[in-house]
Amino acid sequence: MLDAYIQSYNQAVFETDKQAALDVVNQALSDGFSPEDIVFKLVIPAVELMMTLIEKDPDANLAQHFMTAQIAADVTEKMLEKFSKPPEMIGRVVIGAAYGDLHSLGKRIVSGCLKSLMVDVVDLGTNVSAEKFVDTAMTENAQVIAVSAMMVHTATSEKGSLGVRALLQERGLEQQIKLAVGGAPYRFDPELYIQVGADAWAPDGVTAAKVIVDLIREVKP
Amino acid sequence: MTTIAPNAGQTASPASDMLATVSSDEQTLRVMLKPHLSVRQVLDATDLRVRAACGGLGTCGACLIQTVSGEFNPPTLAERQKLLPEDLANGMRLACQLRAYSDCELYLENPAPHSAWKSLDPTQLYQASGNPAISEHVYGVAVDLGTTHIRLSVWNRQSGRRIGTRYSINPQVAHGADVLTRLDAERLDVQDCLRIGQQAREAIMDGIRDILSRDMGEITPVLAALGKVLIVGNTAMLTLICGNSGDSLYQPENWQSPIACQPTDADAWRQIWRTPHADIDIAQPLAGFIGSDLLADLLATGITEQSQPMLLADFGTNTEIAVWDGTNLWASSVPGGPAFEGVGMRNGLTAEAGAICKVSASGLQTIGDAQARGYCASGFIDAIALLLDKKHLKPSGRFAEPPTEQGFLLQADMPKSAIFASDIDIFQRAKASTAAAMAQLLALAGLKVNELDRLWICGSFGQHLDLNSAFRVGLLPTLPSERISLLANASLAGCEQLLLNPAGPNLLNDIVQRARTINLGGVFEYENRFIDNLRLQPMPIGEYE
Repeated sequence: MLDAYIQSYNQAVFETDKQAALDVVNQALSDGFSPEDIVFKLVIPAVELMMTLIEKDPDANLAQHFMTAQIAADVTEKMLEKFSKPPEMIGRVVIGAAYGDLHSLGKRIVSGCLKSLMVDVVDLGTNVSAEKFVDTAMTENAQVIAVSAMMVHTATSEKGSLGVRALLQERGLEQQIKLAVGGAPYRFDPELYIQVGADAWAPDGVTAAKVIVDLIREVKP
Repeated sequence: MTTIAPNAGQTASPASDMLATVSSDEQTLRVMLKPHLSVRQVLDATDLRVRAACGGLGTCGACLIQTVSGEFNPPTLAERQKLLPEDLANGMRLACQLRAYSDCELYLENPAPHSAWKSLDPTQLYQASGNPAISEHVYGVAVDLGTTHIRLSVWNRQSGRRIGTRYSINPQVAHGADVLTRLDAERLDVQDCLRIGQQAREAIMDGIRDILSRDMGEITPVLAALGKVLIVGNTAMLTLICGNSGDSLYQPENWQSPIACQPTDADAWRQIWRTPHADIDIAQPLAGFIGSDLLADLLATGITEQSQPMLLADFGTNTEIAVWDGTNLWASSVPGGPAFEGVGMRNGLTAEAGAICKVSASGLQTIGDAQARGYCASGFIDAIALLLDKKHLKPSGRFAEPPTEQGFLLQADMPKSAIFASDIDIFQRAKASTAAAMAQLLALAGLKVNELDRLWICGSFGQHLDLNSAFRVGLLPTLPSERISLLANASLAGCEQLLLNPAGPNLLNDIVQRARTINLGGVFEYENRFIDNLRLQPMPIGEYE
């Protein structure tokens, strides 16, 4: 069974040691385990464990969030290449930094975790207009638009989340497409997400992945 | 000060540094006396300055100091003219004439009133040859306006003599409003912008007046004969000191393009400064996120006149990085965050008295041997390296044993030696963004680390930096130490060259023409490099070789 690997993989993730994590996975592969088993029984439970741990771990820092999310995404990507048939994805999210905002790193944590949880991520990069968010979500059949904003003025701007909300309303898409937000300003004011018309928010990138998966399930049970 | 007071005893002066214990009624300081510097010159770089009203020539007699023990140079002619024989016999001396021949104790009954201004070591600054063509308004001022520090020097442009140098904290930091952090987090309102700009102007004039009063003994006539003030700095500070709001800096389209920084009210500015003839000139930044302080660094180091590849990093609130491949220049900047200037960390300090500046297995060392009040960047980097070596800290940035609410005490009886998990996090992200930027610019230039002929570390950050610690935590690429140069006041030195060297503006223009500004926010591989560099370990060599 994979049990022997789970502990050393979880240890490597906790230590943010990407090479060690890859070594464990490669060893499991050469011992005959399938890439599918590795993703669903090793990688995904590790991401879920990490989500629980990070909420409780007072010592966990943002640097560790970045590294753990990156390990999850990298390992998943390597395993997906080896899948015998493409896995069933649980949903799709369009993610990007708000109009006028060039901070791209925050959403990296979210994307990394989402990918390893079998969510398709369409990353539009930074400085994304509300139209582009909504247009892409429509053509890509995404269930969630996730808008990251690291500055108060890009979080509250009419061209950011508020603009996305207005377009969703205008086009009658509010039942099909949910809006999630994240970034520093929302941590300072936990009610801010309501003001900017979002359905949900998360205080950090790892939790954000969980919040987005929940939103996908609301739309696509 | 560049001028060394004439001294009859100079030929007999000893070659090694002497330890001086200097006391006032308020404080006691331990300083190393350099053989080529007078006691006044050494104290001018500390919190305990002597009173002074001349340039250290022994003509004002204000810098009285009592020798308590130790061997000194014999009294100079100036001292015999200014001091009574019985005072001399009782060990009273003029600090500007005094040099120690042995470790010694000194007592300062009337120190200068407390001031934030200190002198800089001029040895690495610009050497000017003078310009006889300047016949009126001969004085000039060079200013490096940083987010946390202001450095400046006053010159006689005609003779090429530096009258004095000073540095101090930028008042916007002292008032708890780190401008770059706030520009990032929220939009400053117009009033805040104007206030920060005005404070910077007042601070610069305060520094100029400190030099004039202490190093020349007169202020008003010199201000009237001040012909030029040249300011280099980061784009945010230059925008604010010109009297503009920071608004233009928020527009992403401005980040990579030149931003014009011109004073909106030059006449009013001159009037408030009482410098009617001063041409107040702002060296234009390279782009919205790359200031003219980086250009000044490049001038001072002369990198772009070399044929070998070199890398320059100026660590600060924003860390600016340039790679030169022998023909072209790649430049960018990344948020160093406050980590490199000691501001914002729980026990962070700038490099000032009481800052822990060196940490080794044998103990902690503070600046001025004063009681520890926290870490400056170099001490913090040493501490992280030591914690890693002792396995108290893991490469992930986690402590092996979670510290208590008091933090991890590097020295059990010293609360100010505490290090917190959040400090480590801030540092990891700052060092990763810097290391990733270096790697990315090198990749764009098609260069590898081991092809670098020289790595220049500019900014006061490098002053106390232990290179091995910097290698250990992955802040700098591991290079032989003889290929690394530390130049603490490079921006000011470059600004001085721009002020005084008639060829300076052309050299600067040449640098600007060859520069490509890179906005790393738009470079996808940069993000991967950032994450790869978050671990506390020597930089991944594979990527660089």
